[in-house]
Amino acid sequence: MQLSRADLLKAYRTMKMIREFEERLHIEFAAGEVPGFVHLYAGEEAVATGVCMHLDDRDKITSTHRGHGHCLAKGCDVDGMMAEIFGKTNGLCAGKGGSMHIADLSKGMLGANGIVGGGPPLACGAALAAKKLGTGGVAVSFVGDGGANQGTTLESLNLAAIWSLPCIFVIENNGYAESTSCKYAGACHDFADRASGFNMPGVTVDGHDFFAVHEVTGEAVRRARMGNGPTLIECKVNRYYGHFEGDAQTYRARDEVKTIRETRDCIANFEKKATSSGMLAASELQETSREVLAQIDDAVAKAKAAARPGAADLLTHVYVSY
Amino acid sequence: MAQHQAPVGIVANPASGRDVRRLVARASAFPVSEKCHMITRLLAALAATGVTRVLAMPDRGGITERLRRAIATQGPHDGWPQVEFVEMPIEDGPADTLRAVELMVAAGVAAIVVLGGDGTHRLAASACGETPIMALSTGTNNVFPEIREATIAGIATGLVATGRVDATRASRRNKVLRVEVDGQQTDLAVVDAAISNHRWIGSKALWHPELLSQLFVTFAESDALGLSSIAGLLCPVSRRAAHGLRIDLLPPERAAVTLKAPIAPGLMASVGIAGVCEIRPSEPQSIHSGSGVIALDGEREIEFRPQQRVAIRLGLDGPLTIDTEEVMTQAARDGLLVSRHA
Ligand SMILES: Cc1ncc(C[n+]2csc(CCOP(=O)(O)OP(=O)(O)O)c2C)c(N)n1
Ligand SMILES: [Mg+2]
Repeated sequence: MQLSRADLLKAYRTMKMIREFEERLHIEFAAGEVPGFVHLYAGEEAVATGVCMHLDDRDKITSTHRGHGHCLAKGCDVDGMMAEIFGKTNGLCAGKGGSMHIADLSKGMLGANGIVGGGPPLACGAALAAKKLGTGGVAVSFVGDGGANQGTTLESLNLAAIWSLPCIFVIENNGYAESTSCKYAGACHDFADRASGFNMPGVTVDGHDFFAVHEVTGEAVRRARMGNGPTLIECKVNRYYGHFEGDAQTYRARDEVKTIRETRDCIANFEKKATSSGMLAASELQETSREVLAQIDDAVAKAKAAARPGAADLLTHVYVSY
Repeated sequence: MAQHQAPVGIVANPASGRDVRRLVARASAFPVSEKCHMITRLLAALAATGVTRVLAMPDRGGITERLRRAIATQGPHDGWPQVEFVEMPIEDGPADTLRAVELMVAAGVAAIVVLGGDGTHRLAASACGETPIMALSTGTNNVFPEIREATIAGIATGLVATGRVDATRASRRNKVLRVEVDGQQTDLAVVDAAISNHRWIGSKALWHPELLSQLFVTFAESDALGLSSIAGLLCPVSRRAAHGLRIDLLPPERAAVTLKAPIAPGLMASVGIAGVCEIRPSEPQSIHSGSGVIALDGEREIEFRPQQRVAIRLGLDGPLTIDTEEVMTQAARDGLLVSRHA
């Protein structure tokens, strides 16, 4: 499957949007403007983007506490997300969820999740629904390396396999769960090695490389849509910031992030490839970047100007009628 | 046995055997734990032949850690060689294999055991110089390294390293394909180089034969798996022959001749054949497609663009590999593992 120019521009816009969104939150959080915890996805953009490019309105994703990238790539509204993170009434969840609970069911985004390992069981449910209803949809569960060691994830791998669910487990292995190295915490160094124990294909892919992630996920989605069952994809990747904003990162080597940013940055490498192939012009990339930055400025301004939920909102959104 | 006996190197690629071919073909997984077991079997055999020192490539993929644990818990009578990990920065990528092999050669190892697929051996081949390699398969569709029990590989390597077999007969010279982009040599392949109309390197493996336009092989066995099987099923070429082969390919629906070939495990593909010819070291083969990707030993490695000049040249001066069968035959003939007690 060859990527068209439009595909490439879309991928670039999405990656850039995630990056600038996170870079801006890094600044706003330090300024004390953002309530609660924020876990930034900067550095991992190629994963959410490469995966979600294959998804449409039939498809569902479950996310993690580090969920902004997944939300944006699945099509959540930038203004609504920013406002949600700022805790404002015009946010996607009326400002009551914040960064770790952003959801937009209309976009198939079943929610960021404060429970590490909380997503995979939900994805199994969504995949079972798609299978039973015959929608042709798939469910993708993004899980961290820490989340991958949770019982919930292992149970979900098993369930997805025995029911042959159209479910894809994308393990974003960024090397750490909080400050714990995944080398320490995992009896198996490569999560892909686990897949055969659950009777499904397991693939390791360079999570910095949009083209690689996109290609591998395309095959997994195709397999799921054809009714051939689940796949585990381990994306080896790095996060550019701390576990949460404010993390002193004493467990990381001094130049760890600097070197990765300089040599393996997913956006810089994408720019190089897209332009040297003659598929996109540097001017198109610059124009896209400008638009993205303007959109983020606008979203931040709107979020800051909006109201916080008040006492009158306390008892709304507590129950849902089906 | 000499006191200053040269060490043996071990390079095990933690990443081999888990690429997309598990999804698009039916390739088996090769877990890190199994690679580590192979190394411990190698150590046992090397020890039995009198090797006392091993230099190993460090990694962050789990092999080093498991190996350290295995060494710490070895039985009192195992007597494995002393294992030192080469001091080098670890990048978690192909550069690690290159650097480790270079440093081992510089440290004067007598031989290097390489555990990996064709891709890992390709890297080792570009850095090993005249140091012989014991090529062991742990990857996906491998042609260059052998699928062989590590214990036997360890015995053969140990007998070569300790100088007890006829070294010239114990190893064989391999061919390579060198890729030149704009007149500069950029890379090499030990089995095959394929030109594909893919635009991106992406997830590296090749499983769309309809995108292939040309295939070059150093050798081609008719019972091989992978792209070289295309050549092997049309016109086999031995590892020792002084020529290679070029196959011009077409999408099968446009070709007068098609071939069913096992291009990956469990993946039989129909390929269109436009022509087959022998290639010789003196004749560089220029590539005519405007842009595309060059796959080396089954993995997309180089993206080239219309303005670039690309050529591929056969070399008869590739790496030396240890011929296990020959070494073991000598071992039996000369009683190298026999001790007589009065
Ligand atoms: C069930 C549960 N246990 C512990 C935590 C605390 N916690 C929050 S994030 C995190 C680490 C998650 O690491 P990983 O899954 O690798 O994701 P990453 O932060 O690296 O993206 C932990 C332990 C939690 N939120 N939920
Ligand atoms: Mg993590």
